[in-house]
Amino acid sequence: MAKKIRVLMAKPGLDGHDRGAKVVARALRDAGMEVIYTGLRQSPEDIVEAAIQEDVDAIGLSSLSGAHMALFPEVVKVLKKRGAGDILVVAGGIIPDDDIPKLKKAGIKAVFGPGTPLADIVAFFRSSAK
Amino acid sequence: MKIVEQVLKGDKRAAGKLISMIEDDDAGATEALAAIYPHTGKAHVVGFTGPPGVGKSSLINRLIREFRVRDRKVGVVAVDPTSPFTGGAVLGDRIRMSDTGTDPGVFIRSMATRGHSGGLALATFDAVKVLDALGIDLIFVETVGAGQSEIDIASRAHTTVVVQMPQSGDAVQALKAGILEIGDIYVVNKTDLGGADSMASNLDFMLEERQGWRPPVVQTSALEGKGIKELADAINKHYRYLKGGGGWRRRESDRARKELYESMKRLLAEAYSDETEGVAFEEVVGAIVVRKTDPRSAAKTLLRDLKLPK
Repeated sequence: MAKKIRVLMAKPGLDGHDRGAKVVARALRDAGMEVIYTGLRQSPEDIVEAAIQEDVDAIGLSSLSGAHMALFPEVVKVLKKRGAGDILVVAGGIIPDDDIPKLKKAGIKAVFGPGTPLADIVAFFRSSAK
Repeated sequence: MKIVEQVLKGDKRAAGKLISMIEDDDAGATEALAAIYPHTGKAHVVGFTGPPGVGKSSLINRLIREFRVRDRKVGVVAVDPTSPFTGGAVLGDRIRMSDTGTDPGVFIRSMATRGHSGGLALATFDAVKVLDALGIDLIFVETVGAGQSEIDIASRAHTTVVVQMPQSGDAVQALKAGILEIGDIYVVNKTDLGGADSMASNLDFMLEERQGWRPPVVQTSALEGKGIKELADAINKHYRYLKGGGGWRRRESDRARKELYESMKRLLAEAYSDETEGVAFEEVVGAIVVRKTDPRSAAKTLLRDLKLPK
């Protein structure tokens, strides 16, 4: 059996806008991946714990509340602390352009803003997740 | 094997990875499973089945908390369907089990069926073994929302919980064979909807004592947290019943028989999928199509001449 790409989709923080996360989840499903959807209001610790138990190749984080600079790098930090730094972290949502280089420096591998074609996101997961 | 040692020490990352190896049927999976098998057999395995949307995940979420209060380590393997068209899946059971967060005494794994039927994935009960070896005391297996005939769970779990809800059919539904014969415990969830009493009494009317165990009907509301203690007590009571009589041994024999049979089937499929045997197999397929032989006789001949892969 071929190796399946497994992706955890999570929404850290307090905003309840999960349509974007769901649309991406569906696109990844249609591309043959297994997507574990964890729902709203997750702490970075919750997300990392779930990623370890589910043994995912990548984590997709979505935030529309503006709290991404506080929450996204924290996920990368906790992953490293738990010895799971090899899990890819990708972000989406409302992220100001100025923040993108900072997030990348903090270990977020890619940032997909509104209007990104779903095919681009799928292609990124395919080529980057082992 | 290093990964097996790590699992036996309680390393969750290793357990997660080992389950993936098994799901992907990686080269080391068979050897790893052989190495952990002697360390399994301690956990109480409880299967949950019932129609989609009946509240299985929410009930399990409540039960995790209840059993954590009782100081048991709890594992969950939750199965959702794989798309037959794309091979992808969205696994959403975890959404309803998010209360436990980072509790070190809980391990939840979502699993896609990957084409397997019967409401389970091929790797489901191997994942259960990994959790058992990890030191989990109580393992819940949630099937795909099953219809009326997905009953594989009953031959694999020690305790099978069948979940129903009110207003989902009259007394005749309860008379139907299949899923309503496999439960050790029946649950009428969503009592908050009303009509649970009549559903429960319809079910209760159908149930009989078998080998010294009369399946109870427990009414719960996962939404309101009602009846959860009673359900947890019923699960423990069934465990004591199995351990007290010959039930545990009988269930283990059922499981072992089924797993042995499935492993043999799998070996057969593998044996005929390699290059040389695969060609021979296809030749026989051709002979059956043109009526030179028939499937039953050809199967006998093939099995007689079979060389198994190493």
